[in-house]
Amino acid sequence: MLYRTAGQFKTSYVADQALFPVKQDAVLLWLFLLLGWVIFPLTASEFAFQALLIPILIYALAAMGLNILTGFAGQLSLGTGAFMGVGAYACYKMVTIFPELNPIIAILLSGFFSAGIGVVFGIPSLRIKGFYLAIATLAAQFFLVWLFEKWSWLYNYNASGAIQVPNLEMFGIFVSGPQASSVTEYYIVLFVVTLLTILCINLTRGNLGRTWKATRDMDIAAELIGINLMKSKLTAFAVSSYVVGVAGALYVFSWKGAAEPNVFDIPLSFQVLFIAIIGGLGSILGNYLGAILIVGLPVMLNVIAGTQVFEMSTTSSLLLAALVAGATFLFWIARSMWGMGAAIGFGAVTLIYGYAQLQGFRIESALIEHINVMIIGALIVFFLIIEPHGLNQLWRLIREKLIIWPFPH
Amino acid sequence: MKHFTKLAAAAALGTVLGTAAVAQELYTPNLAYRTGPFAATGIPLMNGQADYMTLLNERDGGVGGIRINAEECETGYSTEKGVECYEKTKGKAIVTQPWSTGITLQVLPKTNVDEIPILAPGYGFSPMADGKVFQWAFNMPAGYWDAADMIVQFLEQEGSLEGKKIAFLHLDHPYGKEPLPLLEKLAADKGFELLPIPVGLKEMQNQSAQWLQIRRERPDNVVMWGWGAMNAGAITEAVKTKFPMENMIGVWWAGHDADLKLVGDEGKGYKSISWSFPNPDAPVMQQVKEMVFDKGLSQSNEEEMQGVFYGRGLVMSMILAEGIKNAQDNFGTTEIDATQLRWGLENINLTEERIAELGMEGMVPPFSTSCANHTGHAGGWMLEWDGAKFVKASDLLTPNVDSYADLIASASAEYATSNAPWAMNEECSATN
Repeated sequence: MLYRTAGQFKTSYVADQALFPVKQDAVLLWLFLLLGWVIFPLTASEFAFQALLIPILIYALAAMGLNILTGFAGQLSLGTGAFMGVGAYACYKMVTIFPELNPIIAILLSGFFSAGIGVVFGIPSLRIKGFYLAIATLAAQFFLVWLFEKWSWLYNYNASGAIQVPNLEMFGIFVSGPQASSVTEYYIVLFVVTLLTILCINLTRGNLGRTWKATRDMDIAAELIGINLMKSKLTAFAVSSYVVGVAGALYVFSWKGAAEPNVFDIPLSFQVLFIAIIGGLGSILGNYLGAILIVGLPVMLNVIAGTQVFEMSTTSSLLLAALVAGATFLFWIARSMWGMGAAIGFGAVTLIYGYAQLQGFRIESALIEHINVMIIGALIVFFLIIEPHGLNQLWRLIREKLIIWPFPH
Repeated sequence: MKHFTKLAAAAALGTVLGTAAVAQELYTPNLAYRTGPFAATGIPLMNGQADYMTLLNERDGGVGGIRINAEECETGYSTEKGVECYEKTKGKAIVTQPWSTGITLQVLPKTNVDEIPILAPGYGFSPMADGKVFQWAFNMPAGYWDAADMIVQFLEQEGSLEGKKIAFLHLDHPYGKEPLPLLEKLAADKGFELLPIPVGLKEMQNQSAQWLQIRRERPDNVVMWGWGAMNAGAITEAVKTKFPMENMIGVWWAGHDADLKLVGDEGKGYKSISWSFPNPDAPVMQQVKEMVFDKGLSQSNEEEMQGVFYGRGLVMSMILAEGIKNAQDNFGTTEIDATQLRWGLENINLTEERIAELGMEGMVPPFSTSCANHTGHAGGWMLEWDGAKFVKASDLLTPNVDSYADLIASASAEYATSNAPWAMNEECSATN
């Protein structure tokens, strides 16, 4: 009903090969673009910008970069954190050496440095595959973080060894550094992320994307049909590291404001890898869904735990109710009893928690943190069990069921 | 779809939280870390801080008759969580206590724009001492440069440092590198050889390579700037390599009872400079026991309450409460705001009499702050491990701030230029 395709006739090849052959998909996309570009900036608080919107976008971008390499070209990498660091340090050096450089240009340029480094560390991929390649990229991770610590030129011989973002101006508005407002930072991140997402969608649909997928699925067969494996693998490393590097520059320049070398250490690589895997390897949308789950959900749970459930404003309680109802409906459509159970269970637990709060029940923030970590861990396992191919696949199944709804097959 | 409604819900929730008004209490959030790799050292400090505020609420109904809400926001020592907590609490907070050096570095420039005092007792960025530049940042009673200077003074009391070799075992992290500029300057002045030995974050628990180097170089002393698991690692490794413990001195964060209990008697002689001391006979300790611990309002335990870190937590909250009281007295209002609290923190005058009045004799040295001096440079005692607990091993040492006032001025000026435009306190005429 919601997704009825009846009456949408394709009368030309162009229409048939469109990015969104089903009209509702395009409508949804415009809706989200509207949300992201207009509604969130108008309504979100400083906290929502800094703890939810900006980090989700940046992590989604980093995961998208990794997804090109691992999901589309099939080359496993554990060096994402370090490549993000290359982007961040390159951007820092550029804006300190050329203070008049436009910050957005600097952020976009910094990706080229990480692309170069990425290609260098991608050379082993020509000879080795799978886990062995993962170990080779792990070497990049350790080496680069070590370099960030030891090469003091990189952080301008700062006594603390950390890089600090200066206040950067563009057309008289601070766009980066402590003086920049959250909305400006958000728009910069959103602009760059939108731009690179369009680029990535089209790259992966095009000639290059097809050679990557062929390399991923069976490299010998790909070689036999005339694909140059060296070119395919190295371009994947270059494009992936470019996107990851830009994400790293945004990470420091539009969000954190300062960074010491160890933030780019292996936990960051793993976090980005989790986002890519849970979102779904070989997809673009999945990166956003994964980032919302891994980066956004813990913050949201923390917020819910810290609020008086029955004293929430009407808007937020309606939104929360709509969220539970919506999730239950979608899982019902997908015929996932476990999913429905989880969504209803979440709603019930929230109500019980709110009731307990009325009775004077309080939990320590450390305990909230422990419970939060457990819930996130359980959710990761849960989503991977109900859909091993990630959230993107889950959404695709739901969408297919929606198209043929109310019929089961 | 549902994921985006989540996002929308989050945005709306955030808005609601940001504007929620709270009646009749002062909100002084603490960005605590009771979880994560540094939890073992964090818990006693957090308990001390929380218990002192509970004591004030229980005994006096807060400060000046208004209750203190010292809610904790858990960071797990992670900078990301720290910034999240800062953003979450800054709406109604009158102060922010960031805890980790990483979080401090990120929050420092933001507080200057948001105009919230940042209270980092005994940690953070040493040039924060310059109150004219860092008008919103406080790290009294003493900074890391004070600590380094006092340690060198203490070593000098045992004889000239000329020609001696001092190893500086430090965490390879902004925190560990902090005292390096001063130590290098002192090494040049006093003629000793400084041997910096970094310990990477990944090597904290396994320092065999560093201690092999120490054994080879045979330094006269080891000065340690460690935190968390690094201290326990270094102390056990020192015992294992039979390094004479009396020649090892740590900063105040390297003086945690639990780390030394691991080695017990073999750690005898280990020293740590400290601006706080857990005086079990101080009246405040008795009051905390009666009014907080015995009533079940504390998360602490008997053993922990004897320790250095718990006592330090009490002192930290006391400093904040003093700032609040000063501001209330000066502005004639109980519900002070962030700007008024800044004035309060800038005008702390903690004399011996005042310390006795607060029931904290011997727990903290006297100090005073001004608009130019945000550190107070209180000085400290050298504490020594006697095999079971820390005891005072020296009289009060006071840092020679004059000798590195230039260093403070140049470092803070450099910070201000690299963060231009940086709002400074131009009205302040006092000198550091």
